[in-house]
Amino acid sequence: MLGFLIVGSVSSLIFLNNSKLGNVLSNILYGIASITGILTSVFHLISDKDRIHLFHFTSNIPFLSFKLEISKLSAYFILTLSILTLCVSVYSISYLSQYYGKRNTSLFNFLFGLFILSLVSVFSSANMLIFLLAWEVMALTSYFLVIFESENPETQKSGTLYLIMTHIATAFLTIAFITIYSYTGSFDIVNAATVIPPFSKNMIFICLLIGFGTKAGIIPLHIWLPYAYPAAPSNVSALMSGIMSKTSVFGLIQFVYVVLGGGFEWWGITLLIVGSISAVLGIAYALMEIDIKRLLAYSSIENTGIILIGLGLTIYGYAKGNTILSSLALLAALLHLFNHSLFKGALFLGSGSIYYSTHTKNMEKLGGLLKRMPYTGLLFLIGCLSISSMPFFNGFISEWFTLQALFQSIGISGNAIKLIAILAAAVLAMAGAFAAACFVKAFGISFLGVPRSTEAQNSIEVPFNMLLGTGLLTFMCILFGLFPQIVLVLLDKVSNSIVKASIVPQLKGFSSFVYYPKGLESNKISPMLILTAGIIIAVMVFLVVKFISRSTKERKYSTWDCGFKELNPRMQYTATGFSKPLRIVFRAIYRPSRELQPEGGTSPYYPKTMRYVVRTQSVFEKYLYTPLTRLFTASTGKIRHAVQTGSVHAYLLYIFITIVGLLIYYRFSNS
Amino acid sequence: MNNIVYIIVQLLVILLIAPLVSGIIKKVKALSQKRKGPPVLQLYLDIYKLLKKDVVVSETASWIFKATPYINITTALLAGLLIPVSLKLTPIIFGGDIIFIIYILAMGRFFMTLAGLDTGGTFGGMGSSREMAISSLIEPTLLVSVFTIGLISKSTSVHNMMETMSSIGTSIFQPVYILCFLAMIIVIIAESSRIPVDDPETHLELTMVHEAMILEYSGRHLALMELGAAVKQLVLITLLVNLFIPLDSIITLDNALLAIVFSILLYVIKVVVASILIAITEINTVKLKLFSVPNLAAISFILSFLGFLQYFVVGGSHG
Repeated sequence: MLGFLIVGSVSSLIFLNNSKLGNVLSNILYGIASITGILTSVFHLISDKDRIHLFHFTSNIPFLSFKLEISKLSAYFILTLSILTLCVSVYSISYLSQYYGKRNTSLFNFLFGLFILSLVSVFSSANMLIFLLAWEVMALTSYFLVIFESENPETQKSGTLYLIMTHIATAFLTIAFITIYSYTGSFDIVNAATVIPPFSKNMIFICLLIGFGTKAGIIPLHIWLPYAYPAAPSNVSALMSGIMSKTSVFGLIQFVYVVLGGGFEWWGITLLIVGSISAVLGIAYALMEIDIKRLLAYSSIENTGIILIGLGLTIYGYAKGNTILSSLALLAALLHLFNHSLFKGALFLGSGSIYYSTHTKNMEKLGGLLKRMPYTGLLFLIGCLSISSMPFFNGFISEWFTLQALFQSIGISGNAIKLIAILAAAVLAMAGAFAAACFVKAFGISFLGVPRSTEAQNSIEVPFNMLLGTGLLTFMCILFGLFPQIVLVLLDKVSNSIVKASIVPQLKGFSSFVYYPKGLESNKISPMLILTAGIIIAVMVFLVVKFISRSTKERKYSTWDCGFKELNPRMQYTATGFSKPLRIVFRAIYRPSRELQPEGGTSPYYPKTMRYVVRTQSVFEKYLYTPLTRLFTASTGKIRHAVQTGSVHAYLLYIFITIVGLLIYYRFSNS
Repeated sequence: MNNIVYIIVQLLVILLIAPLVSGIIKKVKALSQKRKGPPVLQLYLDIYKLLKKDVVVSETASWIFKATPYINITTALLAGLLIPVSLKLTPIIFGGDIIFIIYILAMGRFFMTLAGLDTGGTFGGMGSSREMAISSLIEPTLLVSVFTIGLISKSTSVHNMMETMSSIGTSIFQPVYILCFLAMIIVIIAESSRIPVDDPETHLELTMVHEAMILEYSGRHLALMELGAAVKQLVLITLLVNLFIPLDSIITLDNALLAIVFSILLYVIKVVVASILIAITEINTVKLKLFSVPNLAAISFILSFLGFLQYFVVGGSHG
């Protein structure tokens, strides 16, 4: 079954040295592999079987039994992965052509295949060691993909930061896994709810939260993310943001439900709080960015936050025994995860298209691209509308479900959750408005107005493949915005297998495809119906207006320039200027600083030019990471001088002490 | 059949009354200043006049600039469609979900701000940037207050919320409702660009928000933008008066048709009263400077959150 995916990925490694042929062929193979991936995972999701064993290989090495199996949950994640990979592969055929002759694209494709393979293994591993192994391969291949454009020192720095943070994550995961092992005596991922005492469960949860949270980029563990995503080529960023950060959500669900069997209320509340903070701060930082890919990277933090809000409610509801809340929230979380991979994938690919034709990611140098790249612009706009959760697009559906889950959670008992849930709802509303502001800025500054540089002036539309790859994703954004049932049917199987409850009986109009509201009890929405009404209204308005103003003419003229001479591109609003009101309002978070320096001219009062720099600081980098790093460097420096004296005698002493220590340990552990 | 009647009545009522609100506000303000003021129906005439005028489109503008007026009016009307003007009209197939309404209005705003950036002038960008800042500040209040009302009626459907509110009788004077009511008033003032957040009558670059965004529009585009803004304002007022002044239950006529007619008349009266109250508020306040708006937003959020806390402690509902 999914073996085909693996074969497809591996066989593409053969073409290492012919860049053009290798690139086209390997991407076609990845495409085919993803199509099989989509088909098999959908088949598995609708089939009655709970899990399929893919691969089972027991070796002589203790604990290391190589075991891959697909549960409903992993099938869902593989489906998301395959859809995204399909579109990215189509896109890559042309996108990578800009690197021909400059970089080894075959190497890139080899790593790309390995990366996808490792993702599939993470989703399907039935053994914690294999999970960890696949996790490491994923981290390393993605590291190499991040530093693909390695001549840039900034990229190298980003890569190193990513490598450090991802290994902190691995360390915490290892602790959690070993703790689980110490109770179950096996590295297999099985239900261990009864054998692990509550205290250890809590410790395991904290380790898992830090470990997976780092990968997901929750605040304050997010610092690597806004550096690593933008540094990578756009097709890799799409995959990293779209699916790699979701491996952590997968891991959390897998270990909390399958291994630990549910969890406690406070786990859910913690996730809810962490999710809310990540959601609002992530998008707040995104708003200040002028680099389009960093903006998207920060917005990934926001979306992960929204997913975690859903997940937190799931765990809380499950611990409370409220299966309706639990399965509704899981639905919201997993649907948002799916949707996020679609629209964020499209946006990252879109930003890649911008980079492809203008060679810049800086929004202050863009502008007016909609006239030069009309199709890319349209696709990017659809992505922006989806991510700002506008109605009729998929982002809205999952946001609606998340808000409904919050709404339902306030209804059930538990005082702490009520207050936290209403604040989370307020935070979500604010994050939504911030997201709209952020993506109005992203689209408005890059695609509208007048070009701000010659590169933007001379940009042309990208090749068809790139449009197709992005277009497929945006098409699905609209499709699942109007017909979310398609995903919900599949999702229901997942939530059935995890929280042992189905939300379907509570959802109205679940299976019918048209004109019927979907909803919970009396809360319902019907995007399709309202869209139809909207189109009818728009057409009627158009016709009436056309009739009344039939004798009028349309004239083209320059924009109002206040009666001065001509407007120039520098008079437009800039990306920095656009976010200024919010920067001032929330100066406590952003801590903006500005520098104004007159340059040239005879007197400082009449300068020829002015230099104006605005900076915002990340509170977390300044107050958390900088002191930590300083402390770490200082203490390791001291330890080095104390321990590594350079004297042979001291080293001999260490060896002696170690042996004595081991002998003593051996004596007592055997008695 | 019922649905079609509902849609037609709803759209007609909203479209016809929308420009009236601005007319009344202007008239009351003029009278307070011992002026005669423009006629109450001036906006209708303005819109008709604009429809007959030629259109000037900026050379820089793309299709977004031209599509926005239509999107703007459509989203405003759709939101209007989802908020019943009278409880006697029961929407059957429409899920008038409050979250949907908030987001569909946000969609109109999304395109309006894009159109502001589209012409490449300074004013448009300035308006867009400010509009987005204000809406980000005001959105949490709106959600918390409607969620609170929604929790009491155990539904996020506007129709159910209205029914609950009209069934509670005199306990509408409980603090939770009063607090949410006040919070919502601030939201409406901010969302419909009125004093003290924005001044719809000024074209001074230091102060304008909404007007800056639509500065480049002319002719039929401008007419649609003006109408869209009026409809949006009316939609928000409808939400306010139908939630917090639910007098529909006093009409106890047996004849269904007459009942509908009377309830719509009642609705018109409520809207007129609300417009006069808004005008009086505007007369007695001055426009805040832009960076004082966050304080106002904070006040409104605190009001709505206190409202929620009151529900949380006392339990709200029918007592």
